[in-house]
Amino acid sequence: MAGKKKISIRKGASFSSRITLNPKLARRSFLKLSAATAALTGVSMTGRMTGTARAAKVKDPGKAYPGSKTVKTICSYCAVGCGIKAEVQNGVWVRQEVAQDHPVSRGGHCCKGASAIDMVTSEKRLTSPMKRVNGKWTKIGWDQAMGEISAKLTSIRDTDGPDALHLNGSAKVSTEMAYLQRKFAAFWGSNNVDHQARI
Amino acid sequence: MTNSLNDIRHTKSMIFIGSNAAEAHPVSMQHILHAKEVNNAPIIVVDPRFTKLAAKASEFVRIRPGSDCAFIMGLINEIIQKGWEDKEFIRTRVAGFAEMAEIATHYTPEEVENITGIPAAQTRKVAKILAMNRPTSLTWCMGGTQHHIGSSITRAFCILQLVLGNMGKSGGGTNIFRGHDNVQGATDMCVLSHTLPGYYGLSDGAWKHWCRVWDVDYEFIKGRFKEKKWMNAKGFTLARWYEGVLQEEKIEQYTPIKAMIQWGCGSNSNSQYDRVVKAYNKLDLFVIVDPFPTMAAATCTTDNVYLLPCSSQYETSGSVTSTSRQIQWRFKVVDPVGNCKDDYQIMAELVKRLGFADEFYKNIKETPEDITREINKGTLTIGYNGQTPERIKKHMENWHTFDIDTLQARGGPCDGDYYGMPWPCWTEEHPGTPILYDISKPVAEGGLPFRNRFGLEKTYDMSGRTENLLAADGVANPGSEVKGGYAEFKDVVPGTNWKTDLSQKTLQEAIRRGMAPFGNARARCVVWTFPDQVPVHREPLHSPRPDLIATYPTYEDQPNHFRVFTRFKSEQDPELAKKFPFVLTTGRMVEHMGGGAETRSNKYLAELQPDMYAEINPVTANNMGIREGDMIWIESPEGGKVRVKAFVTERVDGKTIFMPYHFGGMLKGKSLIGEYPAGHAPYVVGEPANVCTNYGYDIITQIQATKDGLCKVSRA
Repeated sequence: MAGKKKISIRKGASFSSRITLNPKLARRSFLKLSAATAALTGVSMTGRMTGTARAAKVKDPGKAYPGSKTVKTICSYCAVGCGIKAEVQNGVWVRQEVAQDHPVSRGGHCCKGASAIDMVTSEKRLTSPMKRVNGKWTKIGWDQAMGEISAKLTSIRDTDGPDALHLNGSAKVSTEMAYLQRKFAAFWGSNNVDHQARI
Repeated sequence: MTNSLNDIRHTKSMIFIGSNAAEAHPVSMQHILHAKEVNNAPIIVVDPRFTKLAAKASEFVRIRPGSDCAFIMGLINEIIQKGWEDKEFIRTRVAGFAEMAEIATHYTPEEVENITGIPAAQTRKVAKILAMNRPTSLTWCMGGTQHHIGSSITRAFCILQLVLGNMGKSGGGTNIFRGHDNVQGATDMCVLSHTLPGYYGLSDGAWKHWCRVWDVDYEFIKGRFKEKKWMNAKGFTLARWYEGVLQEEKIEQYTPIKAMIQWGCGSNSNSQYDRVVKAYNKLDLFVIVDPFPTMAAATCTTDNVYLLPCSSQYETSGSVTSTSRQIQWRFKVVDPVGNCKDDYQIMAELVKRLGFADEFYKNIKETPEDITREINKGTLTIGYNGQTPERIKKHMENWHTFDIDTLQARGGPCDGDYYGMPWPCWTEEHPGTPILYDISKPVAEGGLPFRNRFGLEKTYDMSGRTENLLAADGVANPGSEVKGGYAEFKDVVPGTNWKTDLSQKTLQEAIRRGMAPFGNARARCVVWTFPDQVPVHREPLHSPRPDLIATYPTYEDQPNHFRVFTRFKSEQDPELAKKFPFVLTTGRMVEHMGGGAETRSNKYLAELQPDMYAEINPVTANNMGIREGDMIWIESPEGGKVRVKAFVTERVDGKTIFMPYHFGGMLKGKSLIGEYPAGHAPYVVGEPANVCTNYGYDIITQIQATKDGLCKVSRA
């Protein structure tokens, strides 16, 4: 692709012990993760790179996280539905492995699936409810957020009617949650509800 | 998908049209390449771009964006002219063939060449490859659907498979690769403005059914609406909700939209994105529920916007339905991080404060399992009945026991089940249906005929011919009590039918008799309720071929299209191509997903693909003095413009510009990093392609037409 620019990755205490933070080395840590998963991907990996990564895997005795447990779960990117084996220690997702025995993915991952762990560990995640106050993002508590939102919704409903609300739901939530989103619209009293399948 | 990703291993040929599986569904490639290597199955890739999937093709067909229907009708015509259609399949299981074939005769290979740019000889060649290598697996994605005639294009794909007799067969099928991880599940639950869960629609009967499932009084739900008529009226869609806010086009609703909750929905995947931004800033209340801020947070700068940090899907649990209709349990890996709450907690809090928690959660105590059970209880239409939480989890725990080629468990606790119990799974004993419409197996073992949904017979407007819509005598699943076509089941429990009998005795009775609850009918080539009863080509609203508009015009304008005036004919200006000479099409890259809020905030993926770009052909670039890596402006007829890097490549032809649509965080050349909550801007920002994707919506579904707009290019 047209040129690469350096990504600045700020230090984040939550994962500093596990992840190489130097941007130049971040690629290697990615490869450790993804080559170990026999990635099938559009990302080019030279033999030298994957060789290094494999060596890294062999050196890793698998004992780095004593007392950890493995949770079988499903990748949250595309609809192929690849298996993921997530390693959890003391309530922290520390490492992921491909599912060689999953009947569809059979140990395959693309670069997104191989990076699934960062959905949880990314320092870019929102951690608190927020609202704009005079244009500036301001942290607020859940109670205040839900209180203000529900009061405004109720007021709009009383003044303008239930169809003054539109809910854009999601193809990225569980089937159970998607069902609740549609049910919510019904109980709210409107058909103004839709999600990504429309587009 | 009618079949599964694994079932592609059995195919004898593959045609992909508007799908770039190598980037969008990479792990499916192992099954695709298995068929190519082991079965020597040709791969035909039809696309405006030479994609990464095209690099694996045995036949690459470069098509002009938006002309897919003409090509497919051309294939159908060529197959019929050569006598290669599956005559027995058509005689016994297809309706409206003669009427369809008559219309297909218009699409000779030469006329197809005129419309699509595909050489006549190549259309003939592809038709022959398909005819000589059956069964064929046919795959499409958004490249097939995001057009103003998307609903005709996708029907043409289905008709091609009917004509070739490839439906209901291992190795065949219409295998739409779905996009997001749970877009199949969310679609089945109908987070959609035109239907209740399970595709029940919005009729009174549908509402009464779901009120019984929810165990609430129908009058209570009716009382929640402004008036009863709004219960039956399709709502605004994701594609055009913002018109309800802006009211620059006439809306058909008693109030404008004043509040928006955007829950797990990246904003920059909407076309006309600068209009979406305008709407965000006009709302009285805007609530974003997401693990990451999304571009919406950066573009809405008024004080009425809230961000609620929900957990990722690894911090909660529930089922997800894969593109193969397999239901898998996504076990929770860790508790919600930081001060996040999971989706269920946020919903419960909201519903409680809005005052309808008792009714809403009447039979839901254990979350999410009781919700799964409520879905099992009510979603009869598509057979979400036998996939109990216990069974889904059992499949997850024993996924190693399922065979790669058949997806059936060989021994062990799930013996005989198909992996994920692909729907329909009618009862708790049913193994799931791995291939839809397969009459070679008993219904109890995963077989299925075509559904009887549109009456028992039809007299066609165009021919005056009357046809029985049920399957022919002698055609039924093994063990069926009726050896031929039959109607859907009703009155097993008096006053109910198979879709509304909550006791599910009807389902059990049908299975016991070896029959499908929904009947045994023919698949239709003619849809008499659509404006085009048989798929035909119509030029894109913004056509690069003004000379074709007179012969292939679009539809009349629609005054009330999902509550908003939607332009068709008045938008099709033959002069437009003079000022906007390039076709703009969009698509995916492997490193990012959707609007990219998640992947551009993922340090590994951000580094792999940090730049927004536009693909431009070397000849075009050289003529304009544009070199690789130069910044260029892409501008749409609506005034949308993006400043992006030029990627000079022969992937696109000289008339086409391609952009990936995953980027965000910039608008019209300006970075919005300062507008994100401090520290939460994604690692990578770039211009959203959807600022430039043009006006245009499918006539039936209102899906946005992002694949065949026009644009102009200039040096930045």
